[in-house]
Order: sequence, then C-alpha cells, then structure tokens
Amino acid sequence: MAGLELTLGHYLAVSAALFTIGVFGIFVNRKNIIVILMSIELILLSVNINLVAFSVFNGTIMGQVFAMLVLTVAAAEAAVGLAILVVYFRNRGEIAVEDVNVLRG
Amino acid sequence: MDFLADINNAIPEAALAGFGLVGLLLGAIGGDRTAGLIRLLAAVALVAASVLTAYQFQHPGAADGIAAFASATSPDGLYRVTMFTLFAKTVTYALAALALLMSGGFLKTSQMERYEYPLLIVFGSLGAGLMLSANDLMTLYVGIETLSLSSYVLAAFRRDSLKSAEAGLKYFVLGALASGLLLYGSSLIYGFTGGTAYAVIAAAPISVGLTFGLVFVVCGLSFKASAAPFHIWTPDVYEGAPAPVVAFFSTAPKIAAVALLAHVMFVTFGPHEEAWRQIISIISAASMLIGAFGALMQNSIKRILAYSSISNVGFALIGVAAGVGNGAASVLVYMTLYVIATLGMFGGVLALRRGGRAIDNVSDLNGLVKQKPGMALGLLVLIFSVAGIPPAAGFWGKLQVFQAGLQADMTWLVLVGALSSVVSLGYYLRLVWAMFMKPSAGELDKTDISIGIIVLVTSLLMFPILTVTIQMLLETAARASGG
Amino acid sequence: MTFQEIAAIIIVLSPGIAAAIAGLGQRFLGDKGSMAITTVLVVSAAVLAGLLFFGQVFGHHPEGGAHAHTIVLSRWFDVGTFVVDWAIRLDSLSITMLFVVTSVSALVHVYSIGYMADDPHRARFFAYLSLFTFAMLMLVTADNFIQLFFGWEGVGLASYLLIGFWYKKPSANDAAIKAFVVNRVGDFGFALGIMALVYMIQPFAGVDYAAMGIHHFSSVGFDTVFNVIVNNAPVLVGGSGAPVAIQDVAFDFLGIHVWGLEVAGVLLFIGAMGKSAQFFLHTWLPDAMEGPTPVSALIHAATMVTAGVFLVCRCSYIYEHTVVAANMITIIGAVTCFFAATVGLAQNDIKRVVAYSTCSQLGYMFFAAGVGAYEAAMFHLFTHAFFKALLFLSAGSVIHGMHHEQDMRNMGGLRKKMPLTWAMMLIGTLALTGVGIPAVDGLHLGFAGFFSKDAIIESAFASHDAYAPLAFWLSIGAAFLTSFYSWRLMFMTFEGKTRADHHTYDHAHDPPMVMAVPLILLSVGAVLAGLVFYDAMVDHHEAAFWGSAIYNAPDNHVLHERHEVPLWVLLAPAICWISGLIFAVIFYLLAPQIPRKMARNGGPMHSFLSHKWYFDEIYKFVFVKGTALLGDLFWKIGDKKIIDGLGPDGMTGLTKASAGGLSKLHTGYIFHYAFVVLISAVIFVAFVMFGQGR
Repeated sequence: MAGLELTLGHYLAVSAALFTIGVFGIFVNRKNIIVILMSIELILLSVNINLVAFSVFNGTIMGQVFAMLVLTVAAAEAAVGLAILVVYFRNRGEIAVEDVNVLRG
Repeated sequence: MDFLADINNAIPEAALAGFGLVGLLLGAIGGDRTAGLIRLLAAVALVAASVLTAYQFQHPGAADGIAAFASATSPDGLYRVTMFTLFAKTVTYALAALALLMSGGFLKTSQMERYEYPLLIVFGSLGAGLMLSANDLMTLYVGIETLSLSSYVLAAFRRDSLKSAEAGLKYFVLGALASGLLLYGSSLIYGFTGGTAYAVIAAAPISVGLTFGLVFVVCGLSFKASAAPFHIWTPDVYEGAPAPVVAFFSTAPKIAAVALLAHVMFVTFGPHEEAWRQIISIISAASMLIGAFGALMQNSIKRILAYSSISNVGFALIGVAAGVGNGAASVLVYMTLYVIATLGMFGGVLALRRGGRAIDNVSDLNGLVKQKPGMALGLLVLIFSVAGIPPAAGFWGKLQVFQAGLQADMTWLVLVGALSSVVSLGYYLRLVWAMFMKPSAGELDKTDISIGIIVLVTSLLMFPILTVTIQMLLETAARASGG
Repeated sequence: MTFQEIAAIIIVLSPGIAAAIAGLGQRFLGDKGSMAITTVLVVSAAVLAGLLFFGQVFGHHPEGGAHAHTIVLSRWFDVGTFVVDWAIRLDSLSITMLFVVTSVSALVHVYSIGYMADDPHRARFFAYLSLFTFAMLMLVTADNFIQLFFGWEGVGLASYLLIGFWYKKPSANDAAIKAFVVNRVGDFGFALGIMALVYMIQPFAGVDYAAMGIHHFSSVGFDTVFNVIVNNAPVLVGGSGAPVAIQDVAFDFLGIHVWGLEVAGVLLFIGAMGKSAQFFLHTWLPDAMEGPTPVSALIHAATMVTAGVFLVCRCSYIYEHTVVAANMITIIGAVTCFFAATVGLAQNDIKRVVAYSTCSQLGYMFFAAGVGAYEAAMFHLFTHAFFKALLFLSAGSVIHGMHHEQDMRNMGGLRKKMPLTWAMMLIGTLALTGVGIPAVDGLHLGFAGFFSKDAIIESAFASHDAYAPLAFWLSIGAAFLTSFYSWRLMFMTFEGKTRADHHTYDHAHDPPMVMAVPLILLSVGAVLAGLVFYDAMVDHHEAAFWGSAIYNAPDNHVLHERHEVPLWVLLAPAICWISGLIFAVIFYLLAPQIPRKMARNGGPMHSFLSHKWYFDEIYKFVFVKGTALLGDLFWKIGDKKIIDGLGPDGMTGLTKASAGGLSKLHTGYIFHYAFVVLISAVIFVAFVMFGQGR
C-alpha cells in the first residue's frame, strides 16, 4: 500500500469519526458516567486531530498552539468532572447514568 | 512592544486574576474562617473591576481596539476591548459583586460558608470578562472554559445535597458536550479560513466548512446563553443548584453570554450575516416560546425563573437577529434591564425562609403582602419589569428589541415575541396572585436585611430611575455598537 | 363682576359643593349634617336665583330684560375649531331655568327632610339630590353643546341613582336600568347630532366670521353655531372642499342624501325625546316612579324631563330653519300629549297617573315649540314645574300619610283625614286642568296652567305649519282627558267611602310642617305663576324679555296671531275641562259601579289603555327578547363555541398541553438532553446547508 498518500481528507475523516463516536458515547451509553467522561475526552481528541492537521496543511502554527490549550483545558475539565462525580457518588451511592434523574419535568 | 500600554486594556481582568490567586493563597492558609473576609474582598475586587472597566469606557481612545498580546500570525492580536464589550463587562462585574454580597446570609444558614465560593465567582467573572474581550477563537475558548468550569463546581457546591450534585453533574456533562461542539466548530473555522483571529475569519470568503463551523459555534454559544433548543439543561440546573449560585448564573454570566453571542455574530461573523441570521431568529423564537410555555405548569420558583430567563434570552436575541445596525444597542439595554430585575427577584427568593429552610414553591409566596409588604411590593415591580408591563423599565427594553426587529423587517419574530409575552404573563401573574391574593402560608423567618435592601434598591432602579436614564443608556450603547 | 355674575356662579356651584361635601363626607357629617348642608346651600342658591329671575322680569336693564352674556369659568378643550369652555351663559332662557330648577329643588330638599325622615340612607339621598341639581344647572347654563351634554349625562346619572335609590327593591333596580338604557338611545341621537354640527360647521378662511358676532370660532359653541345659521354663513363641510352656505348644506347620511340642518335637528330632537319621555321613548318615565316621591317631583316632573324642551327652545335657531325636524317635533309632541292622557285614564297607581300626566304635558310643550311658539313652550314649562311638583308632592304626602299605599283603589274618603293635602291637590288639579276665565277682552283670570296651556292651544290653531291642525285637535282631546283623569284621581283618593283598611285609614294624617310648607309655597306658584308672568313671557313684553335667547324667524308671528283666533277656540279648553269634570263626577261620584264594571269586564279598550297601548310588551318582545335572543346566539354559538373554542379556551387548552409536553420533554436523563442538543445542532446544520443550496 505504498501508493497511499495521507491527505487532509483522511485526517478530517478520522477526526469526524472520533467526534461521532464521542457524541454517541454520550447519549447511547446508559451504564456508567465514567464512560461519558471518556467520550468527552474523545471529542476533544478529535478536535485536536483537526487542529493539528489543519495547522500542518494550512502552514500556520496557530492550530498547534490551540491544540496545546485544548489539552490543558481538557485536563482541567477532567479534574473538575471527576470531582463532581465523586461528590455525586457520595450522595447517591452509584453512578449509573439511568439513575441521574432526580431533577426533571 | 509597549507591554504596559498593552496590559492596560486587560487591567480589570488582570486585577481579578491576581486577586483570585491571592485569595486562594489566603484561603489555603486561613481555612474557612477567612471565608467571610474573602467574600467581602472578592466583592470589592469585582466592584473594582467594574469601575476599572467603566473607567476605560470613559476614555474611548484607550479602548479602541489595541493589539495586546500580539501574536506572530494574527494582525489584530488575541485581546481587544470595544465599547460594546466594555459595557457588557461593566454590568457583568457589578452584578457578580451584587450576587456575591447577596448570598451571605444563605451561605451561612446552609453551611456553605467556604472560601472557595467567592473565589469561584471571581474566576467565573474573570472567564466572562475574558471571553467578552476575546479577539481570537483561542481566547474565546479559554474564557468560556474558565467561566464554565467555575460554574460546574458552583452548581455542585452544596456537597451534601443530591440535587446540587446532580445539577453539577448534568451541567458538566452537557456543558462539556457543548464545549466540544464549539471547539469542533472552531477547528473547522480555523481550517477553512486559515486563522483563529476574528479579523481573519471576518475577512474570509464564505465556504461550506466555514458555515459548518459557524453553526457549531452558534450551537455552543447558545448553550452557554441557555437559548432554546440548547436550553435543556437550564431548568434542572436552576432547580438543583443552591439559590445564590442560581442568582449568579442568571445574572452575570447570562448577560455576558448573550453579549458574547451578539459580539461574535456581529464582529466575527459580521460579513456572513446571511448564514446565521435565520438560525438566530429560529433560536430566538424557540426560546421565547419554550420559555413562555414551559413555565406554565411549574411550581418551583427557581424553575419558573429558569424558563423566564430562557424566554428573556429569546427576546434579547431578537436584537441580535435584527443585525448590528438595528439591534446591537437593544440587546445590551434589554439584557441589562433583565438581569438587574432578575437579581432583585432572586434577592427576594433568597431572603424568604420558613423554619430555616429556603422556600422554593410558588405556594410558599402565598400571602406575602401581609407579612412583608415592602418585599412584596418590590417583587411586584421586579416581576412587572421582567414581564414587560409598563411603566416598569422592562417594558422599554422589550420595546427596544421589538423596534429593532421591526426595523429589520422581522415582523413574524416580533409577533412571536408578543404572543409569548402574553403567554408568559400566565406565570408572572401567578406569582403576583400568590403574593397578593392568597391567604398566608405561615410565618416567615426574619429577613436578612442586606438582601431586603438589594431587593428594594433594584426595584427602585427598575422603576423610576432606569426609565428616566434609559435614553442615556441607549445613546451609550449606540456608540458602543459602533465600536 | 356684577352682582348678577357672582350670583350666577354661586347658584351653579353651590349644589355641586353641597353634593361633594355631603356625598364624600357623610361619614363625618352624619345624616343631620348632610341634610343641613345640602338644604342650606340649595335654598340659598334658590333665593339668589329668585333675585336674578325677578330682576330679569321686572328689572330695567339698559338693553331691556334681554341682557345676555356669558361668564367663562375655564377652558376645557381647545382643539382646532373644537373649543369648549366651562361657562355660565346668562340670558332669559337660562335664568328662567335657574329659577325653576333651584326653587323646586330647594322645596324638594326641604320636603324630603320630612318625607325621608325614617330612611337610614338619608345622607346619600341628599347628596344625590344636590348632585342632580348641580348637573341640571350645568346643563341649563351651558354655552356650548359639550357642556350641555355633560349636564345631560350628569342628570341621567343622578336620575339613575335616585330611581334606584332603594336598591334592595328589584323593581327599583329594573326601573333605574330601564331609564338609563332608554335614555341611552336618546343620548346616542344627541351625540350624533352634535357630531353632525361639528362635521358641518367648519370655518372657511375667506369668510369674516367676526362680522357675524363670532369672536372665537367653535364648532360646538352656541354663539358660533347660531350666528352661522342666522347669517346663513358659508362653511366648509367636513373641513374640505368648497364652502357652502349652512342652510344649503347637504350630505350623505346612512346612504341618504339629506339636508345638514335637518339631520342635526332630528338627531338633537331624538336626544330630547329620550330625556323628555316622548312617544316611543316614554316607557321609562312611569317606571321611574319606583324612586322616592320627592325625586319624582324634582326630576320626573319639574326639571330633568323638561331638559328636552329646553334643548329644543335653546336650539330655536336651528329649528326655525328646518321643516322636517320641526314637523317631527310637532307630530311627536301632539301624539305624546294625547297618548299619555289616554293611558292616564286607566292607571290605578296615584303616582303613575301623575307621571302620565307629566308625559302628556311635555307633549304640549314640544308641539308648541314645533309650531314655533317656543315662548309658550317655555312658559308652560315654567308653570308646569310648579303645579306638577305640587301634585307629586301632594301625592307623596298622601302616600306618606297612608303608610306607602299607592293604589287609588285602596283609598277614598281621605278629605276629612288630610284636609291640607286635599286643598293642595285641588289647587294642583285646577292648575293642571287649566281652570280660568278665557279673556274675551281685558279680563283674564285663572290658575297657572290656564294661561300657559291656552297659549299653546291657541298658538297651535294660529300656526300655519302643516301639522299644526293635528296638534290642535289632539291637544283639545288631551285637555278633556286630562280633566277627566285628574278629577278621577281627586275623587278616587279623597271622596266617597273609604276603601282603605281600617287601621291605615284611622292613622291617615296630614304631613308635618316641614312637608306642608313646600306644598303651600308651590301652591302659591301654581295659582299665580301664570297670571304674573303671562305678560312678560308670552304676551306684550315677550320680545323684550326673551331677547336673543329665543329666535323667531322673520315670518313667524304665531304669538301675535294667536290673539286673532275665533271665539270658539278660546272657549274650547274651558269646555273640555268642564265636560271632563262632569264625566268624572258621573263616573266616580254618582255611579262608581260603572267604571268598576268596565274594569272587571276588561273590554279591549280598557286593557289597551291599562296596558299603556302595549308599549312595554311590544318593546319587550322586539327589543328585550330580540336582543336577548341575538345575544344568546352570539354568546352560545359565536362566543362560546367559535371565539372561546378557538380563542381563549382552545388556546389555554393548547397552552396547557404544550406546557405539559415541554415538561415531559424534561425527562431528567442526561442522554435525552444530549440527544436534544445534538439533534438540534444537526437540524441547524441541515437547515443552513439547505439554505445555501438554494
């Protein structure tokens, strides 16, 4: 397969696929909130692939700077998310997505 | 590169960030004993930031889009202050300070008096200020995330309450999803325009990728502003989060988010008006209608206020949909009037307690006029203002956005607005009915004085003073829209 | 300011002040205080008005008695040519009315102190009385149609309040509403009439209106309107187009091409018909007797019901230039005077008899004005006020003495029990039936009604108007009927063996002094008012007295020509009242079984009369039932089903349903929320792509 050349399209396709998987992970998954956190990371990952790919193909550095920022923020986001999850677990005793519906209507 | 001159533009945010870090240090050393002190200092810092912003406002020359933090690739830099954003920032900081001051009594009685609370509000306000001052998608993202992360934590701040934790969790998950959308949109925009700076985006020709990205960005921003159909988190979070946090959510970040949406639409995507105008008007109409209809069957005051805020964001978006020339001023005027009134209403909700527990049901308001006539009257004025009943100030705000809509030939949108105004009277008047007509629902606790004062002051502001000064406000905002 | 002006201002304002004080402050003043304040203020107004009136009649002003001018109190409207002042217009017409209104009102106030002595709401009653007086004075002193309309509606309001004064009685409430609604029909015409004037009378720039005596052009001011009409000045109809002389103005109204002045005249007269209870719009007056008797005397005999006559006389400038409108007045007036008299024959309620008599006498006044004898109409208004108030108040003291018994069939033989009341009632009856010696030459003696009624009948005969003969013959017939039913009332009430129950009869008594004094004063008026003022009002000095207040067209000499009528015309009224008396004596003194048998057999004639020509039944069927049916249709099908069904009810249903739906949408599950967010984003993307594809 030596003839295969990676174009922007390939990167974008992978990124879109990852994004879609992440999105579906959020609303198809009914089991565990941790999975949702992972899905969010997946979405951010897809964005990063996009940014870096664009940066390379556009020839500007901004995309890579942005990707760094996104990574940083993602770390903070994961920290905050886990902290809230812990608080929730302490009150509820479990973290099944289907049980998170005290507030409704 | 004159670093000092550049940082001058970011003085309020710099001050807030500096205070936030110092406060964190202070709290870490002193523990929760210093919570009261830090709350006070935080309020002072926010007021100072508001005053500093207003001071920049006094000198338009200094605020005329200076390239601070100039980046190598972007001609305009990452950071920029304009009249429009300055106005929004001033109001945001001031309201955050008020919301903070107001929460004192509630925090004490609910065992929430911890030093992180005021600091989170400071960081949240800082994020709001950053995103408003952004001149680049990166700054925008960092600002939004600063605000959002603080908000997630604030929503879950009452650690021993399941509702509060669930509100925080929901807000976090959905907020992260919305951030993901925004970010994905940003990445597409970057890819198809070749830059992240507003000026680059504005100068780029319209393309499919840019349109895609634009729609995703609009979705993400609408989520932050809780505009329908991305409002879905709002009622649950408002109901679950502690009352002072909701008071903060519905005021300072709210005006910031709406102003940000308007700013991004007008400045970043200004030349691509055709691409977003329809979407914004649909979002506006959906918000007004859902906000009006959704609240009718609710019994929780906080949920009603959530729908009310959704509906009012919809009204403000009429001004955005009307375009920069017609609507910029009306958006600011409308949101300012609305958030001030909302703050007063939350002041009332926070102040009223029965048997040590905060009230949250409409029926808890029954017969309020007999026990606290001053409070009832104040709330009446505020409710009338939010509902847009003349002569309360909110009416003039509504008039402004409607006029803007008519100027832009969006008659159908104005008609939807009028219809939802009428429908929303259904629940506003229900509150009034409960306060004035129903028999009393039992003895209320003594009112926290400072909150009573804020209720009265804001209601006074709403009624005569603002109606008089509205013209001035309009002129300022009109100038602001020019910048 | 002259004495006359100060006095006029005090006269007009003091009842208003009295009403305000007594009405708003009755809690602090109490019954006695309210009564004292209102009575004192109104009596002093009456004294001043008496001074003004006698000065006007007997005084020697440089310009003669006709010295007329206007006191402007303040400006009310000033919009283009729609200029309205609060003003007091003083001329013989308004001064006469001032005197009539305040003097009768004052006597009624005094009388009510006795009559209402046991009523728990006396303070309210007196406040209403004074309010009425104030509104009536505003009406008569207006110098423009709008202030007149203000007073017009004010008296309507006061009348409503007073008829329904005993608001716990359902019949009183019904009567009050009926009076109000029927008056509304008339008022609608009146308002349209004013609008017609405003529409027509717009200034044309090229005309020198000042030369006609118009100093400030106002489409509703009397001065402007009347001077424009008299001078046949060009006006700009509707404010545009070419100027047209006012008497030639014609426009389309309700699809018919009509003469402007005729339309205005007819419409204004419809207003007068409502207020003065003329044929077709008379049905409210007999029912209005549900109010306390002093109210009937003041409002429904002496003052408010004569407002229509006053309006027509005030607008003599208009009616002298119209044919149709004037004929309509003549016909309606003549028919009313005869119709009401026939109905009066068969009534058994003592007050209703007097009420129909009032209706009938108002008819006299109207056709007098219709044939051009405005002076005679005003003169009859003036004398009628005294003797009709006297009759009402006497009837009131009968009712008072009989413990609120009003049915004459339960009276009889009261002369011995209440001699004073009998004497008063007798004087009133003599005045009403017009007893006097017809002046063949020189000698001219009689009760008040004699002078005024005969003047009217003679004028009707002398007039050249097309319908004057009709009016003449109907009025002759009515004079006979009047005499008959008046004496019937006298005999049934005072003569014969009593039909009252033992207890009531034994306790029947003459009224106390406070009620007797007003009766005596009114009886003086009923005896002398004709004799004293005949000369000034309708005979030699009438032109000097009325001056510009009443306008007579150059060819209108009816007041002079009435002196040249044949002898039989002069004698006819006298024959009428004598034969009426004889018939009454036969029927009710000598052979009382005849009318009783007639009533029992209930022949068609009797039931026709006792049912008042079936007017109430017809109106009820056509208007009340018809309206109710129409309303029912609109309500049940139009409103409930269609408007409510699609509108409020349907809307609220939809609203609630959608609110419930929205509420259900909030399941609380994160994955649902996330789905909503994402699907919305997808829809928006699709929307934009689709939009761009276009």
